[in-house]
Amino acid sequence: MAITCARCGAQNPDGNQFCQVCGTPLTAAAAGGAVAQPPPAAPPAAIPGPPPGFAPPGFASPPPTPPVYQSPYYSPAGAAAQGAVHRTPWVLIVSAVVVLVVVMAGCGTAVALFGRSNAQTGGTGIATGVSSPSPASSPSPIASPVTLSGPSATNDGETIPVPTGWVVDSKDNESITLSDPSGFGTITVGSGQSVPSQTAQQNKDSLDKFFLGKAPDTKSCPNSKTTNGNLNGAQGIFWTLCFTLVSGSQSAAVAAPLFAGANSNGSIFYAVLMLTPVDNLQKFINEAAPILAGIQWKLK
Amino acid sequence: MRCDHCAHDAPDGVFCTRCGAHQGTTDEFGDAKTREHRYAAHPDEHVAQPSMFTTLFPHLGHHKIHEFRWAFIVGLAGILLLYLAGLITAAILVAAFLVPVLYLVYLYEAQVYRDEPAIVLGFTIGGGIVAGIVLTVFERAVYNPFQYFPNPLSHASVSIGALLLAGLVFPIVEEALKPLPAIFFPKRTDFPETVDGLVFGVAAGLGFSLAQSLIGFSSVITSLPAHVAPGNWIYDLTTLAVFQPLLQGSATGVVVAAIWRYRRGSLGGREIGGVAMAVIAHVAFTLGTSLLREMSASPLLILFWQAVIVGALLIYIRYVLHYALLEEAAHMGYAETVCANCHMHIVASGFCPNCGMALTAAPNSIKRGRRPRIDATVSASRNR
Repeated sequence: MAITCARCGAQNPDGNQFCQVCGTPLTAAAAGGAVAQPPPAAPPAAIPGPPPGFAPPGFASPPPTPPVYQSPYYSPAGAAAQGAVHRTPWVLIVSAVVVLVVVMAGCGTAVALFGRSNAQTGGTGIATGVSSPSPASSPSPIASPVTLSGPSATNDGETIPVPTGWVVDSKDNESITLSDPSGFGTITVGSGQSVPSQTAQQNKDSLDKFFLGKAPDTKSCPNSKTTNGNLNGAQGIFWTLCFTLVSGSQSAAVAAPLFAGANSNGSIFYAVLMLTPVDNLQKFINEAAPILAGIQWKLK
Repeated sequence: MRCDHCAHDAPDGVFCTRCGAHQGTTDEFGDAKTREHRYAAHPDEHVAQPSMFTTLFPHLGHHKIHEFRWAFIVGLAGILLLYLAGLITAAILVAAFLVPVLYLVYLYEAQVYRDEPAIVLGFTIGGGIVAGIVLTVFERAVYNPFQYFPNPLSHASVSIGALLLAGLVFPIVEEALKPLPAIFFPKRTDFPETVDGLVFGVAAGLGFSLAQSLIGFSSVITSLPAHVAPGNWIYDLTTLAVFQPLLQGSATGVVVAAIWRYRRGSLGGREIGGVAMAVIAHVAFTLGTSLLREMSASPLLILFWQAVIVGALLIYIRYVLHYALLEEAAHMGYAETVCANCHMHIVASGFCPNCGMALTAAPNSIKRGRRPRIDATVSASRNR
C-alpha cells in the first residue's frame, strides 16, 4: 500500500520512514493525518531568505523526480538503525604514528649497524690503487711513456688502458669515461689546458664545489686522508668524497676517490674521478688499479 | 522549503538536500548551484584550497581531520628528531612509511572497505606495492645513475639522457601501470561512487610510493652508518615524507577516479583533463626536480617546485571530486542520519541541509547507520 505524503502529496512505497520527495516524516503524517513538520532534530531554521528581488524559478510543479539512486550503503535489513557509529579514538591514531616512528627508528638503526659491519671506506682512495709498483714513479708525465698492450682509449690529453669488460662511456678532447663490468662504478680521466692557470689545490677546490652542488651532503669520507702525491708523473692531491647520489627514483651512497693535479705553472690540469657505491669502494679501486697504473698524460 | 535552484520540495536548511545548492545566496561567493566556495566533501573550505587531508582523506569528518593532521605533524616531528639525532636511516624509513600508514588508519576509520578489507587492501595498497617493486626494479636495471652522472671535466652539467629517461619516460610508464591494481578490483560494483575510486587510487599510489622509496633508498639504508652528521638530508626527507607520496597518491587517485566516472557513464572533459593533469604533474615534478638538481639549484627551490606541483594537482582533484559528489549525491534517497561534518542529526537526501556536505562522502559507518528508506520493489527483489 502506498503512503501519500501529507505535505507534498507524493506517493511513497509502504514502509518508507520519510517521503522520498520532500523528506517529511511519513509516520507522523500517517498517525496524525496532519501536515508534517520538519523533525525537531532537523537542521536549524536559520536560513537566509532569498535576496531582495530574487525570484525562485517559476516552475508550475517540480520537475520529474530523478530515478532514485540505490546506494549500496542502504542496508537490506528493515528500518532499524544499524550499529553505533564507528570512531577511532584520536589516541589510537596518534599512537599508530608514534609506534611507527619508534619501530622504524629501531629497525633503521639495526639495519644501519648491520649494513655497516662489512662496509669499508677511507684510505687514500686512488693513491691506494697506485701504491703498488707502477709507472707512477716516473718523474715526468711524458718523459717515459708506458707502452700499453691491449685495448686503450685516447684523446688529446691522455691515453688509458681499457681492460676486458670495461666500456668507454664517453670521450671528448679532454676526458674519457669508462664504466666497470658490473656497471656500478665509473672512472673519468681528464687533462687539458687551464685558463686561467690553476694550481692543484684550486683544481681540487673546483671539484669539491662541483660535487657539493650535485649532492648537498658531500663531505670527506670517514677515515679517509687527503694526501699530496704523484700519479704517473702528474703532481697533485688525492682525496675521497662521500655523498648521496639521488637520481630519478634511485639513490645511492657514493664514494668518489679523486685526484686533481696541475703542471708546474698551472697551465695544464690533470684529473681522475671515480664513482662507486660506498660498500663497493675497495673492490672497485682494485679493479681500476690497472687503469690508474696505465694512464699516460700527453700534456706537460 | 522549495529549492531556489532545482525547485524541489526539501527539508528546511541552508542547503538543498537534493541538489546541494546553497540557498538564498547571491553571486557574491560564486555560483550557488555549483557552490565552489563550499567544497562538497568539506564545506568549510573552498574547492580551490590545496588541502592534503580534505582532498585525499575525503571521508573524514571535521574533527577527525584535525586528529589526522596532528598525527601527521607528530610523524613529521619524529622525522625531524631522528634527523637532528643523525639517525638518517631511521628517518628515511619513517618518512617512507608515514603517509601510507596514516592512510591505512584512515581506511580503517572510514571503513571504506566495508565488508571486504582483504580484497580492498590487497588490490589497492598491496597491488600498488607489487607494481612499485616491479617497476622500480625494472627502472634500476634500465637506469644506472652512475652512468648518467655528469662529467665535471666535460663542461656539461646536465645529462640529457638522464632527464629524458628518468624525468619523462619513467613517469609516463608509472602513471600507465600504477592504476592497474585498482582497475582490476573485482568487486567494483559494490563501490560505485567516484569518491571510492579516488580513495582506492590514492591507496594504490601510496603503496607504489612506499615500494619505490624503500627500493630506491635501499643502498643508502644499508650503507649509511647508524649515526651520521645530519647535513642536508632534511630536504630529501621532506620530499620522501610529504611530496613524493602526495604526488604518487594524488596522480593515481585522479586517474582511478576518472575510470570510475567512465564506468558510471559520466566521463567528461574534467575527468579526461584529470588524467592528463596527473601525467603532466608527474612529469613536471620528476623532470623539474631532476633538472634543478643537475643545475645544482638550491634545495629549497626544489622543494618549492615540488610543493607547487603537488598543490596544483590537489586542487584539480578537488574540482573533479566536488562536481562528482554534487552529481552523485543528488540521486540518494531520503534517510535519517548524522552529518559527519557538522554532526547534526538530519533528515536528508544527498546533502546535509545544515552544512552542505555531500553525504556520499560520509564514513561508511555513518552511511550504514542511516535509517533507510524501504523501497517495495527493491525489498521484493532482495527477498527473492
